[in-house]
Amino acid sequence: MELHELEMRAVYGRTLNELIDADPNVLCLEADLSKASGTNPEVFSKHPDNFVNVGVSEANMICIGAGLASEGKIPFCASFTCFASRRVYDQVTISVAYANNNVKIVGTAPGITAGPNGGTHMCFQDLAIMRAMPNMHVYSPCDVYELRSMMKNMVHSRQPTYMQLIRPKVDPVFNDDYQFQPGKVLSLRSGSDVTLVSTGYMTHFARQAADELDKKGVHVDHLHCPSVKPFDVETLVKSAKKTGAVVTVEAQNIIGGLGGAVCEVLSEHYPTRVKRLGIPDKFGEVATEEYLFNKHKFGVKHIINACEEFLKGK
Amino acid sequence: MNFNKKEFDRLAAEYRYVITDMICRAGSGHLGGALSLVETIITLYYRILNVDPENPKWEDRDRLIMSKGHAGPVLYVALAYNGFFPKSWLPTLNADGTRLPSHVDQNQTPGIDITAGSLGQGLSCACGVALASKMNNKKHRVFCIIGDGESNEGQIWEAALFAGHRKLDNLVAITDYNKLQIDGFTKDMLDLEPLVDKWRSFNWEVFEMDGHDWDDIYTTVNKAIAVNGKPAMIVAHTIKAKDCSVAENLPESHNIKVPNEQEYRKYIEALVNQEVDLPY
Repeated sequence: MELHELEMRAVYGRTLNELIDADPNVLCLEADLSKASGTNPEVFSKHPDNFVNVGVSEANMICIGAGLASEGKIPFCASFTCFASRRVYDQVTISVAYANNNVKIVGTAPGITAGPNGGTHMCFQDLAIMRAMPNMHVYSPCDVYELRSMMKNMVHSRQPTYMQLIRPKVDPVFNDDYQFQPGKVLSLRSGSDVTLVSTGYMTHFARQAADELDKKGVHVDHLHCPSVKPFDVETLVKSAKKTGAVVTVEAQNIIGGLGGAVCEVLSEHYPTRVKRLGIPDKFGEVATEEYLFNKHKFGVKHIINACEEFLKGK
Repeated sequence: MNFNKKEFDRLAAEYRYVITDMICRAGSGHLGGALSLVETIITLYYRILNVDPENPKWEDRDRLIMSKGHAGPVLYVALAYNGFFPKSWLPTLNADGTRLPSHVDQNQTPGIDITAGSLGQGLSCACGVALASKMNNKKHRVFCIIGDGESNEGQIWEAALFAGHRKLDNLVAITDYNKLQIDGFTKDMLDLEPLVDKWRSFNWEVFEMDGHDWDDIYTTVNKAIAVNGKPAMIVAHTIKAKDCSVAENLPESHNIKVPNEQEYRKYIEALVNQEVDLPY
């Protein structure tokens, strides 16, 4: 079975096992959501001594992780995105980032992928709040190959890191040769009409939009941005100089996340018109993906529209 | 250092004088909760802890985590007096560019094991440190000092559940029970009683001690270290701002303001023992 035939969470658990095999200091920390994260039974049964389930106490998990990291362990602490970011923001700020303890925080079911758990669980601000934290790297992988390469990089980086983790199976974007590099954008398609910047889950929909636009004769410069922080200023600015128009798309509030990062970079380095697609400063709700795309206007057809609107103005 | 009551009494007086001087020079600071811990910290650093000032990160050292991170000054005096850094650093408390910040910082100060300052987090960190020690089959002990006001934080009780569940018997926690927090007496703010019963019900072995009595501290800490199969909590009955008469047992002693020479003299002259030569 090819890796991309597995769920993302299964690859998270499987990769953690590989990392523990290579370095017993790698630990899997969970707060009663280990089945949801894909580490139970995967890691729990293979490496029970490296598996620490703290129960429903996310704040405790982050600080236990900090204590373990201060002793040279490399803990991966996972929970639903809403709990792994906003619920524990102070613990992450002080015990992880400020203290510079080498903890890896994994937010599962990010953005609209929280689906039936609805508004309480749909976290649209994790990229923004984690990005605003000194010492913190912020990643959002789009497929299993990127996830695995990213985790291998994280183990060796000694860098406090926050990573989103989509749980279900997704189409492959990359293959086994992929090498993740922090602070590097990947060009998924080269074009000169409009720059399209996406991250994580939304990269799949941005690719579809770019394909359809191509058929219409619109050539998109598609940048996939797995490392929201550090951010690849050079590649973005180069693309903006080529196209003069930038559309961003993310399953996040348009305030502060990927769109925010792009606007900050461009307004300082090369002022360019930007359209941010995502959640327009609203909370989530129990709904299908299609409903949310249409309500907040950030699905494939909306990405296409936004790119075409820019071309009309050129 | 061999115990000699007269010598330790003199040392405690010197610690109180230096702590008060450091905080007054800085213009403000957390006096009360530093003075309440003087005898406990001296006993730990002179009679209990296995640490090496020449190698503060020595992997087999005992760890001490000051979860009530604002008690930095008492720890800084102990670390300086034990050779972790020069005593000349002490009067730089809170000065621009200092390595001695008001709240303890593992990246700034030799001998500080865990950064703390946002209350409730240090005991969880101590659980992680103790767990790492167990995973590595190490024999060193992990000490963690928490505040009574800090015990209002829910996270303290998450850590309490975890340590009890995991039977972290290499962890000895001490509650500095001076009965005061910033806005008043703990019994009026958010009563902790019955505190001993609470910790016991979380599956900890619990002791009480007079946190200003040398023999009681030494005996109780050793009993706590000897506990098997459970973490140990020592509820230390202490007096906030002990031996500084104008601040002792007053809520205002939590963080004093010292804007001028007159206020400086007020606190220094209120110390019980005045016969101290500052070491810097």
